Amino acid sequence: MSAHGPLVQLHDLDLLMEEIQAPEARGRLKRLGFPLEGEAQLNKARARLTAAIDRRWMTLYDRARGRYGRAIVRVRDRVCLGCFVTLPTSVQPPPAEPHQLGVCESCSRILYWG
Amino acid sequence: MTVAAIPSAFDLAHCIPDLKPKRRDAALAELVGLAHQSGSVREAEPLLDLLLLRERLGTTAIGKCVAVPHARSLTVVRSQLVVARSKRGVDWNAPDGQPIQLILLVLSPAEATDAAHQGFLARAVAVARLQRNRQKLLDAPSFEIAQRMRELVS
Repeated sequence: MSAHGPLVQLHDLDLLMEEIQAPEARGRLKRLGFPLEGEAQLNKARARLTAAIDRRWMTLYDRARGRYGRAIVRVRDRVCLGCFVTLPTSVQPPPAEPHQLGVCESCSRILYWG
Repeated sequence: MTVAAIPSAFDLAHCIPDLKPKRRDAALAELVGLAHQSGSVREAEPLLDLLLLRERLGTTAIGKCVAVPHARSLTVVRSQLVVARSKRGVDWNAPDGQPIQLILLVLSPAEATDAAHQGFLARAVAVARLQRNRQKLLDAPSFEIAQRMRELVS
């Protein structure tokens, strides 16, 4: 797992929590036959993840999430898929950690080099 | 997601015709591992953790020996369905108490909307709900599972 694995997990968990809290999406899941009873478990898992993440990254995450809804976006062909600005060549992940995270200088979203 | 787009999520490499693990967590690890090996998933570990968390929210077993675990994640590169068949059955905490023989793992990238992800999920569930479809998948020779699945969703 990358050094920022908990941050990626937090993003995915927030995505799941948003989905089950949206009435329309929640209704669809229930109609498909999926029980949604363990929300308290997800809250506990979220608290554990946020405690494991460096405060600097959490600040960036919370700020970007508050502003855009989703804090982490993928990079494709050196383009930030949040603001669609081409990243400068100086911004790149270290070769040893290809899934490392970075920050978009244009929109301040966290970048996932996936 | 449109029905026409779904077959692109099927691939012969994404089928496990004879799943060995008898426990849910190990079975999920095997399915995620296959998706990772095929390049549909960048990192297996965060995705597996997410799927296990999803199970704590409520079981993804839908009864009749079928489970449809699902996740939307940054680590998923493209929408993908991974099909696994277990002759011995997997203990999945199903509502009817039956061991799971057919697993349809539905994966969507984080960019997918709620509607797109759930549309993909709904299609997989619809296929698995029909008894004749389940029987076709359970009876298929190993090398024909992907082909049968493709026929069922198209």
